[in-house]
Amino acid sequence: MNIDFAPELEEFRTEVAEFFATAPTPAIREAGRKTTSVFAPFEQCMQWHNILYKKGWVAPHWPEEHGGTGWSVEQRFIFAEEYRKADLPPLLPQSLGMVGPLLIDLGTQEQRDRYLPGILNGADFWAQGYSEPNSGSDLASLSCRAERDGDDYIINGSKIWTTYAHHANRMFMLVRTNNEGKKQQGITFLLLDRVDYPGMEIRPIVGLDGFPEQCEVFFDNVRVPQSGRVGEENDGWSVAKHLLKHERGGGSAASPTLLRYCERARAAAAETPSPFGGTMADDPVFQRDLGELEADIASLAHFEKLAISGHEIARDPAFPSMNKTINSELVQRASVLMTQVSGVDGLARQLEALRVGSNVEPLGSEFDLVAMPLYLNSRATTIYAGSNEVQRDLISRSLPGA
Amino acid sequence: MDFSFSQEQQMLQDSVSRYLQKSYDFDARQTLVESDAPWSDDVWQQFAELGLMALPFSEDQGGLGGSISDCVAFAGAFGKHLVVEPYISSTLFAGAALAASDNSAAQKWIEKLASGECVAALAYEEGHGTANLAQIEMIAQSDGGGFTLTGEKRLVIAGAQADILVVVAKISGSDQIGLFLVEKNADGLETRAYDTIDGRSAANIRFDQVAVTHDAVLLDNASNALESIFANTIIVQSAEAVGAMSALLELTSEYAQTRKQFGVPIGSFQAVAHRLADMKIAYSKALATLTYTTALAESGSLTVRDIAVLKGQVGKLGRALGEASIQTHGGVGMTDELNVSHYHKRLLAYDAQLGDHFYHLRVLGQH
Ligand SMILES: Cc1cc2nc3c(=O)[nH]c(=O)nc-3n(C[C@H](O)[C@H](O)[C@H](O)COP(=O)(O)OP(=O)(O)OC[C@H]3O[C@@H](n4cnc5c(N)ncnc54)[C@H](O)[C@@H]3O)c2cc1C
Repeated sequence: MNIDFAPELEEFRTEVAEFFATAPTPAIREAGRKTTSVFAPFEQCMQWHNILYKKGWVAPHWPEEHGGTGWSVEQRFIFAEEYRKADLPPLLPQSLGMVGPLLIDLGTQEQRDRYLPGILNGADFWAQGYSEPNSGSDLASLSCRAERDGDDYIINGSKIWTTYAHHANRMFMLVRTNNEGKKQQGITFLLLDRVDYPGMEIRPIVGLDGFPEQCEVFFDNVRVPQSGRVGEENDGWSVAKHLLKHERGGGSAASPTLLRYCERARAAAAETPSPFGGTMADDPVFQRDLGELEADIASLAHFEKLAISGHEIARDPAFPSMNKTINSELVQRASVLMTQVSGVDGLARQLEALRVGSNVEPLGSEFDLVAMPLYLNSRATTIYAGSNEVQRDLISRSLPGA
Repeated sequence: MDFSFSQEQQMLQDSVSRYLQKSYDFDARQTLVESDAPWSDDVWQQFAELGLMALPFSEDQGGLGGSISDCVAFAGAFGKHLVVEPYISSTLFAGAALAASDNSAAQKWIEKLASGECVAALAYEEGHGTANLAQIEMIAQSDGGGFTLTGEKRLVIAGAQADILVVVAKISGSDQIGLFLVEKNADGLETRAYDTIDGRSAANIRFDQVAVTHDAVLLDNASNALESIFANTIIVQSAEAVGAMSALLELTSEYAQTRKQFGVPIGSFQAVAHRLADMKIAYSKALATLTYTTALAESGSLTVRDIAVLKGQVGKLGRALGEASIQTHGGVGMTDELNVSHYHKRLLAYDAQLGDHFYHLRVLGQH
């Protein structure tokens, strides 16, 4: 057992911190501070993506030969910590965290050559078209149909909750290609080269925080080439299951973001009067609540570090489910604490002030501006990527005797 | 002991519910919230016709002499329909502050309030610490003919639209809290209006040496009066919150019976069924505490602890129930289009105002 604290690592930290202090534009920084979701404001997020790409740091978790950095676990954590300290917008997970790693593992050479460059440099953004109105937790029941026609598939049906489809230029999706036998066995995984095929329509859905983040996507006789298929026809479920490992964790660490929320809450609490006198930060009850949260986040950080180092904890079949459950519930708890600090100042609906580049001044502090939207948006973390009820089922099934 | 509503109260409850069912469904409410109007003047007039405006004021003051339980009887329907009109903040909260004074100017405003001709706002909140009156920072500086008011008030419901403001301030050189009348166009006011997350209209108002005469002093030692005004407002707001909780419980359990995944209603999964059971428990506890506390108030034996229990419990249980409702709905629970998230936002706003549950539970533990 050993944790590397070599002096070179401190040099690395300085290098990363200096880059983060100089490379992002003011708009990118503003987008980072105004991020109230796992999905950062799109435009600035993609600009930042491209800057990181040019630096060679866009995909630390990828294999080096495909554009990864080849960093040690320590370095990857240092990178993530400095990233969050600088409040920079997190990169969108769909491209670099999902379809990219999937293509590296299971794509054809042609697919990799065609798509990996755009995923890495940020020229492309991929939406994830899985869920349907009647197929959420029971994803395998999906019914959006694809029928063969010559070298093409013709798609009919609809998808829903497709995050940022209105910003995407490409999409990966699951379609039904066979209605016989087990429902999992008639599903196919497709890459759509475009999202503006004739017959495709994308409609944004406004969320409870007032922002359009998810979309509905309609397919009316949409013709796409079969060359976009990943894996065999009717074997898309195993492709999706493979991708899920990337989606539910493994790749990147969530704990630095969570710790940053705590830091922001602590700093804001030090500026906020307490009804019991002094500031909220002096209040022993608040201190205990914050401490309890930070301890749980520390355990998650340890869990993540063990996992990234290749410890057996990550080979547990329940690892992705545990990681997702712990992380999502901590995001919610952190956001509750933040709204507790923002108090009545969090009750103002300030959509315009939240827009990047807005000239509307927030009513109170920037912290008060983001706390409530973040809380509202984070209600989704226990719903998406497999709800936490479903994750707990999976975790319980991994136990001996189950 | 009797915790039931009287026949008159049931009639009042029915007439308010019937009116709101007819004219205030969720779509109509959303159209109103998304329009430029802060609320509906029509609805306001209807409330007057239903007798709600005159209800809380005494007969001497030209009112109907209604009681706190009268208000509790119909406030649940406000919660069910997510009413955005500033009835509670204007008629009950600011109205009670006016009614606590024997100042003749106050009497004039009460008459207008009771007929639905005007809107009042109680400018009390200053941000986080002011759940405790002792933390009020706005200063009333005495100067010859009257006072000047300086400071900032936040989340003043209807603060930008109100015809009259009742302002809570500390009288300088003493530790007394005063109540002052400030006309809407007074010099030195800087008002920033905004919508709240739960669809209401509010404002942050800066006071820069706003001058008021002695005639504008409603009370110069208002702490006791304010305590009872807060208590009554908290009771009625809690009734509204419990109404929202009851709506959420009903629509969420219906959803769980109709939404199918894996070929069965999601309500048949034990994780979902148990969550619904917890929601029902939360609602029942909140309803019981609301009802009992109302009866205590009617019997004149309400204490600080009782109010702390009510606000602490309904705040905490309401939030938990709202979160459970969204979780049970899955993706649709996260949308603006469905009413679920709007109920939850009303419950969040309820919790944050007049001291959140963290505050009240701690007050309870202290006393
Ligand atoms: C913010 C957000 C972003 C999203 N982004 C995307 C995206 O980019 N692409 C995409 O394809 N999808 C996306 N989704 C959809 C997401 O994957 C689904 O919402 C999720 O699978 C749940 O499905 P549902 O919403 O239909 O809820 P349902 O499946 O109807 O579930 C409703 C409730 O029932 C419970 N439940 C269901 N089955 C069981 C069971 N067996 N046991 C116990 N409880 C159960 C659930 O836990 C939940 O509480 C997103 C969703 C959200 C909220």
